[in-house]
Amino acid sequence: METLIFDLKKQIIEALNLEDITPDDIDTNAPLFVEGLGLDSIDALELIVLMEKKYGIKLEDPGKSKEIFRSVGTMADYITKNRKK
Amino acid sequence: MKKIIAYSRITDTLVILNGKPCEITFSCEIGPGRLAEIYRFLEVNYPKFFKMDNFSKAGFLASEMVLRSLHYDMESPDESTSVVFANRSSSLDNDKRFQETISRDDYFPSPAVFVYTLPNIVTGEVAIRNKIMGETSFFILESFDAEKMMIFADWAFSSAGTRRVLCGWTEYLDGHSDLLVMMVEKESDKGFDFNKQNINNIYRT
Repeated sequence: METLIFDLKKQIIEALNLEDITPDDIDTNAPLFVEGLGLDSIDALELIVLMEKKYGIKLEDPGKSKEIFRSVGTMADYITKNRKK
Repeated sequence: MKKIIAYSRITDTLVILNGKPCEITFSCEIGPGRLAEIYRFLEVNYPKFFKMDNFSKAGFLASEMVLRSLHYDMESPDESTSVVFANRSSSLDNDKRFQETISRDDYFPSPAVFVYTLPNIVTGEVAIRNKIMGETSFFILESFDAEKMMIFADWAFSSAGTRRVLCGWTEYLDGHSDLLVMMVEKESDKGFDFNKQNINNIYRT
């Protein structure tokens, strides 16, 4: 789980062009949107693409997105349970 | 009489504010790395900059220089300022990047790249950053044209309540920058006349 969380942080930094931010700067349990990293709606779309590209997960229920993308920790938890690659 | 009250010029090798070259020493080759160097030189703190495409970054930086030199209040909504830019290559620099992302068999289109496949996004980025609530528009021309720039600015000034227009040429393609951004004020006793000769003169600096 620790490795997945670290990889996920690196992938988020790369996908979202978060300049000057390292994986250590991202709090695993801090909110990704509005507070914390302050991500926006386009970033949310990038995260959906990242989930499919890296882990083969297609998010088909938009209602669940809010909880899945609450933090890096919740994303990692969802990936662990649903990953196809 | 309309006056140019501030202007910036960015080329591959020069960064000029109000006629004075900025003392920036580039360590990167000509290309997008230089935009990040200008950002750091200006000590801008706006993380969203790094999410923009390179064309928007260039337009953002040229605008930032002008507005900061005027001590523009970026915290208060401003309905009296409009933004009108023009260039030759539209958003082609980023369009090509997006095309590359969808040309592979296993393609995953990037929403963050896709949103910049329109040239007028740069005017929106500048407006959002500075809470500019006036008209924003973007025109594509064959080449730099001072006369057309004056027509575009006049059109913006014809909108009720517009007192200032941030306008200019924001060309960026394949790592090459050619920008002139001016703040034009409708009635001012500062600056110099907003006319064809002066626009061409500062563009050629």
